[in-house]
Amino acid sequence: MVLDLLASGLVFSSIIVLGSIGLSLIYSIANFANFAHGDTMTVGAYAAFVTFGAVGGLGFGILGLPLGFFVALLVGIVAAAVVAVVTEKIVYDGMNAGSIELLITSIGIAFIYRAIIQMGFGADFTRFDVQTLRPIEALLPYGVRVTLHDVAIVVSAIILVGSLHALLQYTDLGRKMRAMADNPDLARVSGIRTDRVKLWTWIIGAGLAGSGGVFLGLYNQLSPRMGFNLLLLIFAAVILGGIGSVYGAMLGGFLIGVINQLTPVLSDIRFLTEMGAMLPLVPDSFGIVIGIEYANAIAFVIMVAVLLVRPNGIAGEAV
Amino acid sequence: MGVLSDPKGYWADLTRAERGVVASVVAFAVLLLAGLLTGALSPTYFLFLVGIAGMYALLSFGLNSQWGFSGLINFSVAAFFGIGAYGTALMSADSSPIAGGYLPIVGLFVALAVAGVLALAIGIPTLRLRADYLAIASLGLAEVVRLVVLNERQLTNGSAGVRGIPQFFEGWPVLATLPQQMPGLVVRPFPGTELVLETPFWGALLNVAVVVAFVGVSYGILRRAHRSPWGRVLRTIRADEDLARALGKNTYAFKMQSFVLGSLIMALAGVFYAHLNLFVSPGDLDPVTTFYVWVAVILGGSGSNRGALFGGVVIVTIREGTRFLSGLSEFVLDLGVVALQFDLSFISSNVAPLRFLLIGVLIVVLMRYRPQGMLPPQRELIWPSVVDDPPSKLESGVRGVKAGESDE
Repeated sequence: MVLDLLASGLVFSSIIVLGSIGLSLIYSIANFANFAHGDTMTVGAYAAFVTFGAVGGLGFGILGLPLGFFVALLVGIVAAAVVAVVTEKIVYDGMNAGSIELLITSIGIAFIYRAIIQMGFGADFTRFDVQTLRPIEALLPYGVRVTLHDVAIVVSAIILVGSLHALLQYTDLGRKMRAMADNPDLARVSGIRTDRVKLWTWIIGAGLAGSGGVFLGLYNQLSPRMGFNLLLLIFAAVILGGIGSVYGAMLGGFLIGVINQLTPVLSDIRFLTEMGAMLPLVPDSFGIVIGIEYANAIAFVIMVAVLLVRPNGIAGEAV
Repeated sequence: MGVLSDPKGYWADLTRAERGVVASVVAFAVLLLAGLLTGALSPTYFLFLVGIAGMYALLSFGLNSQWGFSGLINFSVAAFFGIGAYGTALMSADSSPIAGGYLPIVGLFVALAVAGVLALAIGIPTLRLRADYLAIASLGLAEVVRLVVLNERQLTNGSAGVRGIPQFFEGWPVLATLPQQMPGLVVRPFPGTELVLETPFWGALLNVAVVVAFVGVSYGILRRAHRSPWGRVLRTIRADEDLARALGKNTYAFKMQSFVLGSLIMALAGVFYAHLNLFVSPGDLDPVTTFYVWVAVILGGSGSNRGALFGGVVIVTIREGTRFLSGLSEFVLDLGVVALQFDLSFISSNVAPLRFLLIGVLIVVLMRYRPQGMLPPQRELIWPSVVDDPPSKLESGVRGVKAGESDE
């Protein structure tokens, strides 16, 4: 069972990682906690949903997904990036406000995105019109139930994250972004056009979020609240990894995703459920059962604990 | 300087924003009165709205004492509201799985005690954090509280909620049965309209009395507290925490006190809500309540209690006013020659997202163009006597010295 949970943890972490990289990039370069990031994911998911409905399957498929789905994925990424850039240009850019004011503004933006999506598509759950697959036969003997779609999510996430790594390490833009995340003032005096780098940060961050949203829709369902519901988990991942560190966000996203899916293991731990029988002066029936419904709560508690003990995250420098 | 003794002077003394707010409040009151007198708005529902507005005003006071005065970004308003509501509901309701059957006044104190403990539990780890971390952490912990209320069925009835909550005055000598004993009245303000005032009306009137008392007491306490030396330290912390620390203040302790005080007022709002609605469910802890209250505080003006009051009323207008939209289907504008017909089914079928859109746009527009809110704090932070009798010569003297034109 643990293997199966680990596998679904890997799939879920791929989605969290895609969201958390963008959030971390924007946090470090635009310098505020973007509460609209989750709803940017929703924008990407619904853009892909519309595109997929329009272009259809387009013949042959890869990993159980028709080619049209990948076209839709691309559209989702572009749509999320465009929406984010337009928002940045119209709203955040001219504000000249502190990070707190920007944070509160981004909540308003999140509401606007969600409201518009809900007006267009209703509050109900929808699904991508792809065939639901059976778990891969070869892995069933090990108790692992993953579908080809899950594999597609993980592979696509690895490709996207890998190309971001290449971009950050080997291109001019990547070096500028890292410089700016490190010290914006220093970056500016050394002649980096910080405005342009900031714009690219929004494009990359929101684009990755859009792809995360599309995969989330494929993994679960689409609903106007899907992104906002995931937002706190993504924050937990970013904080666990250390704000501003892209590689930390990857690691944090991976850990949060796996921990989230591993929650059923906790309710099986004998010590927790039979605490009363082991401790004196406590009724025998007493025990803490941490069920699957507390999966998110565990992540939030981890987040607060990390903020207290190591505010710079596991990948950041210790205080 | 009273409104009644010298209305002209009072008007002249107001800033432009204050005039706008006063004018719109008066216009809104006239509109409501007209609705009442013509029978378009039932008196009982009107009193319910007043109660809800008072509840939002309390929540805004609570948040204002945290964000407006000490600069704490608390995104767990809904959690404290819900704890207040559940605290009193579980003590007093028939269907309560743990206690139940106690007087609501016992529930009030239990709810406040639980909220105080929760405030300490959330505050101790989070108040040392940077401002934006506090926002994320408090939102996360509020979600943990919501999940616990939703899932611990043996304690809270889970998603079924708690029913059978008594009225607030249950068990009091006279007030408990007052609504039943009051005679039914029929008022005819105009020929043709008829207002029937019966038991529900008197019950609602009692609820309004409760919330007015709560709001009045909280307003008085906050007003006094924020003008005291304690309040000045809080404002210093908001402006510059390092400065407050350099002056020898234990900023963590001050922030904690402010956080607990605000949380208690939020819980008070929850207690009132439980005895108004007579039913609580985990849906009442939805984070969207938190953002409603934030809008109220930002709209009113961070740090301003009368602004918070104003913001609370506006939020209720948005929340309840959009309900009327769901009844619309089409709107015909008859210009005599041509009749314009608007299809409004899009609006009526999209009330919930429209409300979201309105709230979102309100937040963005406010933060972009008027971050200080409609009624930013001005005179209310200073003792009135200081403003009313300004030392007449001081200002020019100070200016002279500043410009280096001293007499010597």
